[in-house]
Amino acid sequence: MMRFSTLLKHAADWMTGADADSAIVLTSRIRLARNVVGAPFPGWARKQERTELLGSLRETIESLPNMKEAFSQELSALSSVQKQVLVERHLISREQAARGEGSATVVNRSQTLSVMINEEDHLRLQSIRSGLHLREAYDLIASVDMELEQKLPYAFDHELGYLTACPTNLGTGLRASAMLHLPGLVISDHIGQVIQAVGKLGLAVRGIFGEGTESLGHLFQISNQSTLGESEDDIINRLERVIKKVRDHERNARLKLIEDDPQMVADKIARAYGLLKYAYVIDSKEALTHLSLIRLGSDMECFPNETIQLCDTLLMDIEPAHLQHQAGRKLSPEERDTNRAKIIRDRLHSLPIPDIGFIN
Amino acid sequence: MQCDFCDSKATVFFTQIIDGNSKKTNLCDACAASQGVTDPEGFLLPSIDFPVSGSKSEVKDDLPEAPPAPVMDGKTCCPDCGFAFDDLKKTGRLGCSGCYQFFREEIKHNLAGMHKGTSHTGRVPEGMVEAFQTRQRLEALNKEMDDAVSAEDYEKAAQLRDQISQIEEKLLTPDT
Ligand SMILES: [Zn+2]
Ligand SMILES: [Zn+2]
Repeated sequence: MMRFSTLLKHAADWMTGADADSAIVLTSRIRLARNVVGAPFPGWARKQERTELLGSLRETIESLPNMKEAFSQELSALSSVQKQVLVERHLISREQAARGEGSATVVNRSQTLSVMINEEDHLRLQSIRSGLHLREAYDLIASVDMELEQKLPYAFDHELGYLTACPTNLGTGLRASAMLHLPGLVISDHIGQVIQAVGKLGLAVRGIFGEGTESLGHLFQISNQSTLGESEDDIINRLERVIKKVRDHERNARLKLIEDDPQMVADKIARAYGLLKYAYVIDSKEALTHLSLIRLGSDMECFPNETIQLCDTLLMDIEPAHLQHQAGRKLSPEERDTNRAKIIRDRLHSLPIPDIGFIN
Repeated sequence: MQCDFCDSKATVFFTQIIDGNSKKTNLCDACAASQGVTDPEGFLLPSIDFPVSGSKSEVKDDLPEAPPAPVMDGKTCCPDCGFAFDDLKKTGRLGCSGCYQFFREEIKHNLAGMHKGTSHTGRVPEGMVEAFQTRQRLEALNKEMDDAVSAEDYEKAAQLRDQISQIEEKLLTPDT
């Protein structure tokens, strides 16, 4: 069995596996919700019922060939920082982190597959890949699902499909999503149109916005809303089609920015570089905003190739729980801001001055 | 601008666009952290470092528990788990998979606005495939029969009715 420290020492495959197209689509994620018959959903079960079911489900999950030497942990055995670290790694959800007894998570060695037991549903199977690889992520989850259906009496209804605690997940129980980095569309002020268009197709777009109109880190998540009345293939194909369109729009927006106002683009990238490289106190909003620009600069060949990956690892390592885990203790917000700045300075230490090739 | 959840000043503006409708939420740092605004499922990269994660977001076991002795009034509560349909409005979740059987019509009533369709067309667990296909065939035949009746083609309708009852009879005969 893998230990927590071992889990954290190794970056997940999807964090380091950045391929060419992850410049815009960072990650793809598939999640399936499954329940077994004859037991109340976790949110309605009594503690004892929940704990009993957990025992048997956990054994079944751990025995999967995919889960050989997995990390398997009951949530109640983890500290709040440890839980938060798992949330930041996208291995468990915020909702599960808030749960105590009778809930567990099992994560495979490469961190491509994780199973939440007794989150909102009895089982949440999840797979994350770097780049736009929804299909691969789904194939892995589907194979695990097929193994599990031999062993577990799934709650399934011929009309409503897989039965879930929340009716919004009925049917396939499938939520597919991708994380996109869209600085080109944000800076050129076209993001609104794109978001509206995607929304009209019945997909959900989520972003975080700080003060003003700029989104934090220029990061957006696109996912399917509907799970009933469409097959898994239809859901994934539609989402993939839309994401590819958005990716093309972002590509074009980046090219047009360089064409229309190269000085402005260069200024943003170079300032972000200077700021991150020399800051001693930095909050996470500021860090996200500037790392996003370094990421953009890498795609514009101002920085060496591997810089995108460097940014993506940093994005995670400067999150609050990761900082505290690394420090080995609780940190005040002020301490976090100085630790964050230090980590960024260290990591960017050997990053060369931006080579602004698009200005002649 | 004021936080939608309390009286503090809003510093995080969270926009969700679902089905073309943009829903904007304004939150203060504390509420943003407690609402987990980055993503309802907690998976959006990365979380903002709100200055409260030490104290207020302390993890707690806040699961609602089923009442120790559910009031089993056979009309409003699921016989399997004691969940009352009214609770769905409060929690947005059901009590057990049996609730779907018990509250089927009420739930179906709410599905249309939520999903693309109202019946499952995706994967079916192995071992349930045959039953699933039979059910779909029955639905199709029933529809055909209705159409035949509407078209006053009673001969065809009678044929279809026979087919339907044959299948239904088979369904009722236990496997040998
Ligand atoms: Zn507030
Ligand atoms: Zn029930």
